[in-house]
Amino acid sequence: MSKLGVYDVAVRYGKVPALTDVTLTIEEGERLFISGPNGAGKSSLLKAICGAVATSHGRIEVDGDLLTGRTPEAIARLGLTMVPEGRDIFGTLTVEENLRVGTGIRRDKSAVENDIEEVYENFAILGERRHANAGALSGGQQQMLAIGRGLMTNPKLMLVDEPSLGLAPNIVDQVYETLVNLQKDRGLTLIIVEQSSARAARVGGRMVLLRGGSVVGDGDAKKFAESDVLNEAYFGTDKAEASS
Amino acid sequence: MNAIPQLFFDAMSLGGIYAMAALGIALIFGVMNLVNFAHGEYIAFCVFALIVPSTDAVAVMFLGKAPAIVLIPILLSIGAAVAVASEFFVFRHMRNATPVAMMISSFALGFVIQNSLLAVYGSRPKAISLWPELNTPVSIVGASVPLLQIIVILTTLAVVVTLALLLKKTKIGLEMRAAAENFTMARLLGVKANVVITGAFALSGALAAAVAMIMATQTGVADIRMGGQIMLVAFIATVIGGLGSLPGAVAAGFLIGAASVILQGFLPLEARPFRDAFLYTLVIVSLLLRPQGLFASNSAKPRV
Repeated sequence: MSKLGVYDVAVRYGKVPALTDVTLTIEEGERLFISGPNGAGKSSLLKAICGAVATSHGRIEVDGDLLTGRTPEAIARLGLTMVPEGRDIFGTLTVEENLRVGTGIRRDKSAVENDIEEVYENFAILGERRHANAGALSGGQQQMLAIGRGLMTNPKLMLVDEPSLGLAPNIVDQVYETLVNLQKDRGLTLIIVEQSSARAARVGGRMVLLRGGSVVGDGDAKKFAESDVLNEAYFGTDKAEASS
Repeated sequence: MNAIPQLFFDAMSLGGIYAMAALGIALIFGVMNLVNFAHGEYIAFCVFALIVPSTDAVAVMFLGKAPAIVLIPILLSIGAAVAVASEFFVFRHMRNATPVAMMISSFALGFVIQNSLLAVYGSRPKAISLWPELNTPVSIVGASVPLLQIIVILTTLAVVVTLALLLKKTKIGLEMRAAAENFTMARLLGVKANVVITGAFALSGALAAAVAMIMATQTGVADIRMGGQIMLVAFIATVIGGLGSLPGAVAAGFLIGAASVILQGFLPLEARPFRDAFLYTLVIVSLLLRPQGLFASNSAKPRV
């Protein structure tokens, strides 16, 4: 059984379709990049999976449990966490309070304090500023906090939407290094929206290419970087449409 | 008589009432972007719950006869229950509605509550006596102050401190603050929407009950329209404070109370009847200088 299964999923905002008939599966421990031009439906796909937007068609399953119709808070309880685009950290809460918001769903309360210390070990700057308002952190620190906050829910599956958005390239390197290490340590299944396919190829993993709300390519990120499928996805030729 | 301490107590006690009413509105706006115009009617409902249902001009105390130690918790519970019921029957079904649609339905709910009171109690204001002994003045730092004013000030402080501790130290408090700032993100982290929203309504309703007891004691009148007047000032306080900001609501409540009392004290005699015109001019100036409110909060931003 796949960790995550997305079958014939469609999302529409009013009459505007954002996703049409998207099908993909991801196995436990896999790292999947979702790439594609603006408006391809990358964020909509992630939001549909975590329950932030409703699907108009199709099924989404985690470990065989149907997510469709569940609230976001119920989906979070199935071990799925979202690190959204723009981070959405709680700026008026302290760093530590941000980390604690998601711990309400955990059954292993005794492990919470330990896990907070672990986040501080992974991200030293968060430990130094644990009592500061999270709104005062830099963009890179906020990204680390958003990842740490997601980890505090003790997830098995983590969705990360555009972690590189608005960050300097060397900070993006750090973020990806952290994500890769976390995945190794915890056996996380990771889905990352990354607009830069070159970046995805450097980090390595599987890549799914979206265009106009549909999957137009699925394979090794490195192979994509060398092929012309990307150009077709971004600039649109008949061949890319035909291959979907 | 010493004028300055007198003004201080007047300002603090009036501001305290405004602050508590504004808190009730800000709590709910924070978690669901709803400006709940029915809040004033929760206050009126709680005042009328004190008396025996009848259309007579002089009210017979009903709940109001109970000793304070019994009355206070019961009335706080009634306020909470009315607010939670209105969430359950009305606002819960409007979670995905626009803020404007929710606001309009809160007006509608307010009229329903008001007209229900009208049907049972009639439209004439009624004299009531809840704790009349609290209006006897006591002498403090040279000022002659009704005991009630001191109680109002202490109650407001106690409410603000308790609320701050609840929000700061408890799990549901943390979840409410997170939800107030970004509701969708809080839910994505597993915070249960229904629990947080019900909690906010319960607190808001209890605050309305506290305001109701103070107003009933202070004015000695139960009036169908009393909720609307305080609601207006409280709403203005939440806007000036920065919609959704709890410290902002408290601070602005006190500011409006203080401005109101100071204007009353220092305006030339001929201008005093128009005090509110001066007060609302100050409100406009404040909004022109800081349209986002004195303590801007993120929850006033549209949600995706």
